[in-house]
Amino acid sequence: MSRPAATHPVLDPTLAPPFPQAVLPVLRNPQLRKNVAHAIDVIQAKRASLVAEKTDWQELRSAASAIRTHALENLGTYLEQFETRCTAAGGTVHWAADAAQARQIILDLLRQEKASEVIKIKTMTSAEIQLNPFLEANGVHAFETDLAEIILQLGEGEPSHIVVPALHVNRSQVREIFARTMGLKDLSDDPKVLTNAARTYLRKKFLTIPTAISGANFLIAETGGVVVVESEGNGRMCLTLPQTMITLAGIEKVLPRFQDLEVMLQLLARSATGERMNPYTSIWTGVTPGDGPQKFHVVLLDNGRSSILARSKHRQTLKCIRCAACMNTCPVYRQTGGHAYGSVYPGPIGAILTPQLMQMHHAQSLPYASSLCGACYEVCPVKINIPEVLLELRAEVIDQERKQPGRALDPMYWGLRIANVLFSRAWIFHTAQWFGRIGLGLFTRKDGWIHSLPSVGGKWTQTRDLRGLPNQTFHSWWASRGPQSNGVELIGGTK
Amino acid sequence: MSAIVQSRKMILDRVRAAIQHPGKDLADAAVEYSALPHNYTRRGSLSTAARLQLLIDRLREYDAEVLECNAGELPAVIAAQLAASGRHTFVAPARLPADWLAPGYEWRLDHGLNTAEIEEAEGVVTAASCAVADSGTIVIHHTAAEGRRVLTLLPDWHLCILRASQVVEVLPEYFDRCRQQPNSHSSEEDLSMVTPALATYISGPSATADIEMTRIKGVHGPRFLHVILVREQG
Repeated sequence: MSRPAATHPVLDPTLAPPFPQAVLPVLRNPQLRKNVAHAIDVIQAKRASLVAEKTDWQELRSAASAIRTHALENLGTYLEQFETRCTAAGGTVHWAADAAQARQIILDLLRQEKASEVIKIKTMTSAEIQLNPFLEANGVHAFETDLAEIILQLGEGEPSHIVVPALHVNRSQVREIFARTMGLKDLSDDPKVLTNAARTYLRKKFLTIPTAISGANFLIAETGGVVVVESEGNGRMCLTLPQTMITLAGIEKVLPRFQDLEVMLQLLARSATGERMNPYTSIWTGVTPGDGPQKFHVVLLDNGRSSILARSKHRQTLKCIRCAACMNTCPVYRQTGGHAYGSVYPGPIGAILTPQLMQMHHAQSLPYASSLCGACYEVCPVKINIPEVLLELRAEVIDQERKQPGRALDPMYWGLRIANVLFSRAWIFHTAQWFGRIGLGLFTRKDGWIHSLPSVGGKWTQTRDLRGLPNQTFHSWWASRGPQSNGVELIGGTK
Repeated sequence: MSAIVQSRKMILDRVRAAIQHPGKDLADAAVEYSALPHNYTRRGSLSTAARLQLLIDRLREYDAEVLECNAGELPAVIAAQLAASGRHTFVAPARLPADWLAPGYEWRLDHGLNTAEIEEAEGVVTAASCAVADSGTIVIHHTAAEGRRVLTLLPDWHLCILRASQVVEVLPEYFDRCRQQPNSHSSEEDLSMVTPALATYISGPSATADIEMTRIKGVHGPRFLHVILVREQG
């Protein structure tokens, strides 16, 4: 069967090609597009029916939005409260200003434990800081334990979705990966058999590896508790069996109170997987004698988040609870899948989060990876106005381009400067039209369409045809009708 | 070490500088918090019978097996469930009521069992703290009758016993119960709970849909969930 895309996707925003370029291998891969569309259709249908049955859905959204906004506006206060409560309960809180610091803190903790292996619960934050390759380079092998993450780790693939990271891989591809890497020759492609293979593969790891790494869905300031939401039970295994637990969490994950979960949990499962509630939610607070890991560390990660917080219109980006409803509903994501976004955070939320985490030094093409249709805003359980932030970011990208010294070499720049003159006087415009008709006539085929244009014009014809100019402009047609005509006849239609 | 200490100050300074009113403390935040909108459904509207039926329907949708009985019948119903399971070795929390431990089976009470002893067991029997009908969620606070987290994790078969009075209709009702301080002279029927340090919310058996969105039951947690709902007498 077909292997995953031949070109390996790059999810490091500092290295990834711009979106229009990164998207090409996907658009040429019908299997991948079929896998993505199928997965999204299933989630979308389930979500829609479960949201419809909730009569207070909009009230829940409003409450969630208000809680998240309030938490961000008081973030310093709540982070300190979380630290105090978590520490009092026997946990240790670490602060990492950037990805490098977070990686180093985690490696130092693992070295203290003399760990050469570690089991992991799926965490997009660890992918953000590229933890696994760093640990590997320093002699610690990380075993992913979420089924999708195992598929990607063993198949050397990259996540393309934040909730169902391997949705672009189909069952026969999974079969091929498991058969090859687990040495199971007679494996069938029945998802049940494949899931069982993963269960057997991991059981021993859960029971023997004494150190684990997790992310967090929420941090509770009031209690110092940490919340992990999951389906498979691999999270519970990692949270319960090891002796040492290290949790990596973005600073924005904090909720003021335990009770806030009554809003968040109702929204999260329905939005993310189309379930009334996810199978397992785990909450733990520091260390509990006799139950679970007896050493517990939380690493609080900034890595660009505080700079997002500083801008009031952009701040809402940090309200995100990572449900992925925006990517499931996005007409662009549906066609491209996640890899084209060049980041572990794809889809509409990735299009606003990634460039901001990069402080607008990278991923500037992402704010344009949207039709601005607003579907993402409509489904967002915490009401992030993604189109609004996209427009803000586009304006910033344009400002950056204005300051670039090389812009005088850009044909687009000269094109727009010339257009500025052309549109300023009617006679210049008419003259330009006349020349334009002659010029475009050279590219117009017999069917009346232009299929390909050179230079900046190619940006249009790269994805769609352009209709050739008609022989007469509206203006000249109107003038040729003479003074006797009036508007009524026009509406009545020409015969 | 000092770099990390500096990071703490740096992050908190940045976060405070990012927001207009950096001088706010917890008390100010609490005032602001109390004004947040909470207009969603906070109380259920179903009758007791309908609420219990909703829970049963939801649990069955998750492929959990549900039985109802009166308090007096409970030991016999437990024994019948154990017999029907075809299993023999069970673990149980140390403070599980003695009359739930049906005779004729190997019971391993958790007075500090090691992982291997729990892993070898074929099933586990526990109490629960609460259940939410709307989402079919069983809430475990890991008290002495509910057991340590590992107890309800490794065995493949879980029998959970719920009292009807523990069943609420919507999730906010559970959180309301958690906010109440338990009565010092706590009677059998006191339903209030403290905010838990440890909690597990179970909504159906462990599952995945990672391969082509096909729902597969039983990945790492128990694959079989059985619930006995005990109706109050009178």
